[in-house]
This record gives sequence, C-alpha cells and structure tokens, in this order.
Amino acid sequence: MDRPFNLSLLAVGFSAALAGALTFDPGMLFLLTEIMVVLLLAQMWNLLAGFGGLVSLGQQAFFGLGGYLLFIGANGTQIPFWVWLGVTPLFVGLLAVPIGLVVFHLKNAYFAVGMWVVAEILSALFLRLDFLGGSAGIVLRPGGASMTTNPERLLFFIAAFGFVATIVALRMFLKSTIGLALLGMRDNPDGAAACGVDVRRMHLLVFVISAIGCAAGGALYYITTLYISAGDAFQMNWLIIMMFVSIIGGLGTLTGPILGTLIFFAIREAMTSAGFSGGTYWIVMGALAVAVLLLAPRGLWPLIRNSFIRKTGKATR
Amino acid sequence: MARPSENALLQATGISKSFNGVPAVASVDLDLGIGESVGVIGPNGAGKSTLIGLLVGSHRADAGTLTLDGRDVTSTAEHKRVRAGIARAAQIPQTFGRLTVADNLRLPAVFGAKLHGADVRHWVDEVLELCGLAAQAHVEAQHLGLLSRKRLELAKALATRPSVLLLDEVAAGLTEPEIEQIMALVRSLREGRAILWVEHIPFALRGVCERLVVMDKGAKILDGPFEKVWADPELQAIYMGVPDDALA
Repeated sequence: MDRPFNLSLLAVGFSAALAGALTFDPGMLFLLTEIMVVLLLAQMWNLLAGFGGLVSLGQQAFFGLGGYLLFIGANGTQIPFWVWLGVTPLFVGLLAVPIGLVVFHLKNAYFAVGMWVVAEILSALFLRLDFLGGSAGIVLRPGGASMTTNPERLLFFIAAFGFVATIVALRMFLKSTIGLALLGMRDNPDGAAACGVDVRRMHLLVFVISAIGCAAGGALYYITTLYISAGDAFQMNWLIIMMFVSIIGGLGTLTGPILGTLIFFAIREAMTSAGFSGGTYWIVMGALAVAVLLLAPRGLWPLIRNSFIRKTGKATR
Repeated sequence: MARPSENALLQATGISKSFNGVPAVASVDLDLGIGESVGVIGPNGAGKSTLIGLLVGSHRADAGTLTLDGRDVTSTAEHKRVRAGIARAAQIPQTFGRLTVADNLRLPAVFGAKLHGADVRHWVDEVLELCGLAAQAHVEAQHLGLLSRKRLELAKALATRPSVLLLDEVAAGLTEPEIEQIMALVRSLREGRAILWVEHIPFALRGVCERLVVMDKGAKILDGPFEKVWADPELQAIYMGVPDDALA
C-alpha cells in the first residue's frame, strides 16, 4: 500500500514540476523555487531537531557552504554548474562528519550554540577570503564566462521534483528499521539506547543527511540569484525560517514543516503585496509562533491530525 | 547460598559511583547466576537505581569491574551491553509515545535481540502475548494506562532477549491485583536468565525472589536466602518505624 503511494507521489511530483516549469513566468518560477528551497531546508532542520533531537542553531553553515562551493567549482572549472549542484551537497556532507564529531561533544543547548559558532566562524572566514570577493561576494560565471540566460525553468524543475523525491526518500527511510530507531529516538532517546540503538551513530547519520540537504538548498538558491555573499549565505535568517516553519507546522512529522512553509509564504506574500514594507511579516510570524507554542506546543499538524483521529476513532482501532 | 563466582553470569566487583563527590554506590560486590532471581530492597537514596544504572551502562562506574559471562563490560556503552544481553525495565517507563505497542517492541527486537525479517514479527507477537499486551498491539503507547505502560516497559526489556533482566520498581504505583499480575509475569521469565528486581514493595519480591539483597547508603548490607535476610535484625533496623504488617 505504501509503495504505490510513493510511486504515484513521484509521478505526480514529476508531472507537476514539468508542467510548472513549462508554464509559469520567470517571476513566479523564482518564487516557487524559493518555496521549494525553504521546504527542503525546513524538512532538513526537522529531520535533525524533530526526529533526531539535535537542535542546531547553525544549519545556515551548510546552506552557505553549499552555495559557495558550487560557485567555486562552477567558476573555476569547465564542468557544468548542474554537475556541481549534485556534487557539492555530497562534499558538504563529508565535511559535516568531522564537524559533527567535534560538536557532538557538546550536549543540548551547548550543541545548539556550538553549531551557531561554527556558522559564525565560516561566515567570518568567507568574508575575509579575497579570492571569493571578500564582503562584496562573487557572481556566478560558469567556466569564467558570464551567464547569458537564467536557467529558471530547469532550476524550478530540479527543485520541485527534488523536493518530492526527498519526501518519498524520507518516507521510505522512516519505514525502514533505521527509521524505526530514529522514530524511537524522537519519542525517547534514553529508551532507544536501552533497546540497543547506537544513538550517537544515529545522530551523526541525521546530522550528515541534514547537512547534505541544507547544502543542496544553498546551491540551488544561489544559482537562481546568480550571486552569493557571505553576509547573505551564512545569515541567521535562513535558520530562523527553518525553525519557525518546522515549529509552527509540527516538529517530528513530515507534513508539519510543509504546512508551516505554506503558512510562511502565504503571510509573506500577502503582507508584501498589501504594501507592508520589508520584514514586517516577521512580526506576524513571530506572533503566530508564540501563539502556536502556547496553544498547540506540538505544532498545527499534530493538532489537526489528532482532532481528525478523535472524530474517526482511527487510533484505537 | 553465596554462589561460587566462576558460575556467575554477571559479576560486579567493588563497583562504585559518586555524584558530585557524594557516593551513591560504594564498592558493591554482586554475583548473578542463570536461573537466579534476586530482590533488592533499601530505603530511598540507598543506591538501588544507581546500581541498576551501573549494571546496564547508563551510568559509568568510577571504580570496580563488571563482567558478563567472564567478559569485562565495565566500560562498554549501554547499547552494546543491551546487545550482549543486559536489559533494564526502568522505573519510569521509557516507552515511545507516538509508536504503536508493536513498534515499541519491534525496536528492541531488531536492535537489541538483532533479529531479522519474519523472526522479528514472531518474536514481537510472542512477547505481546506473554506480557498481556496483544489486544493493544496497534494502540499508540501514549494512549496506554499506567499498568499497560509498565507492562510495555517490561516487554521492551524482554524483547531484547536478555540473559540478565534488571527490573527497577516495575510494580511501583500499581494496585495490589496489578502487582500480582506483574509478579506472575516475572515468575514466568525466570527460566534461563538472571533477574535482579529492585522494589519498594517487599511483598512483590517475596513470591518471586529466592535471594534478597539489602542496600543502605550506597553499600550492600545483607545478601542471602530471602527468608533469612528477611528475618535479619539489621534489616528491621534499617526499616525501623515501618510497621510489620506493612512489610508482610
């Protein structure tokens, strides 16, 4: 029953991504690609914090690294940028192993702040690297030549289908025995260790997967903007978006962060088009996050799901 | 009654643990043999739960050694000890709230007992049946009552197929008829394994354990056949102020 569902999800995702890429105008494609990137980032933060129990305040480090390494690779070689789009996240995943092994010595809040420090160090480092333009940043010039066209249609297709494929992969992962261990850790990490689960190894696994996903998000996003700077790529705003949409939607569920992302963009787009300036929508997002944390601490999706279960009595079947 | 130590399955020698300089367990020697059920009693703060934590590996010993089947496991991580055959049912049930009862048991069957494929399903069904949880197999653990959660915690430990089963106050908070159900369950688990049962309610241990250990202030005070230790004046002194009928 699960396999046909996953396959049809992939088929629908593929068709929708293709149809969208061929029909929408460039402005819409840019916005939709950004939404896909945030969906991916939120899911990666959720995997780490919601399922793995590792609250990181430094995932923007991997987002920024993904963007920068893609620019370095694409600008410095003749290899097409979309090859780098595939390679860069895996390379960042490798980098995450030593980072994780060091930062895992810190627990809970110390780990969270430790990851923040990692992101700040990288930000400061990239600001000072002159061959990367320093604080001025760099422009995407694949093989040294300027881009003549913006590949927004291809990028939207990659982002949309990539996101659907990520969801299907996560669904399959959570159904596997390793996924079962992760679900156990989500509910009770001490209980999981008492069942024979190597919690530390599981932490490293979700940490690396999350780093790969965040790096893919960064690489994708900065191809659409054609320009990257350390001040933007490593900024805390990326983390805040990941956290907000995961917490509002519901940590530790796959649907929650999707719901949270849709709410985030609905508020942002509605308020911006109504004439509110710059970051005013963050006030509404902040108020919403506080309200959700007070009224439904597990997030909106578990609230909806549980009231549905209460009505149908499905859980006690 | 003291067993020759070469027959011991689990053997702790001089095992100690302090928290911030305050000794919680002070140089305890303890042997457990296969087929043996040992009760542990003692007042609050006697170090009973810490001792269990040291045996299962959620606490690391400051001093002393621990061997399982002759193998030194003193510094072995908890998940590896579980795989080697030491499992604990904790005082506060460490169940997985958003997983079904069956999945709560699948986890220790896969990662603790290292079973694969259909063996997992059969073993989970067997444990469900044994622990009286079969009817609730598809209920999420967060919707269970206290007795069922206590049973599930015991079932989770059992699902790892332990040779040493450590029970930490699995009867606490239950009514008398419920305690009798737990006693019957533990009694049925004695064959082929060693059981160490820490409990505040002595009557639960009396029908199950043939050996009794008394702890006080981190040290092992008494260790011997249940009735002999039970009648020891030193035990009565430790429990002074508790009327006899409350212990009966």
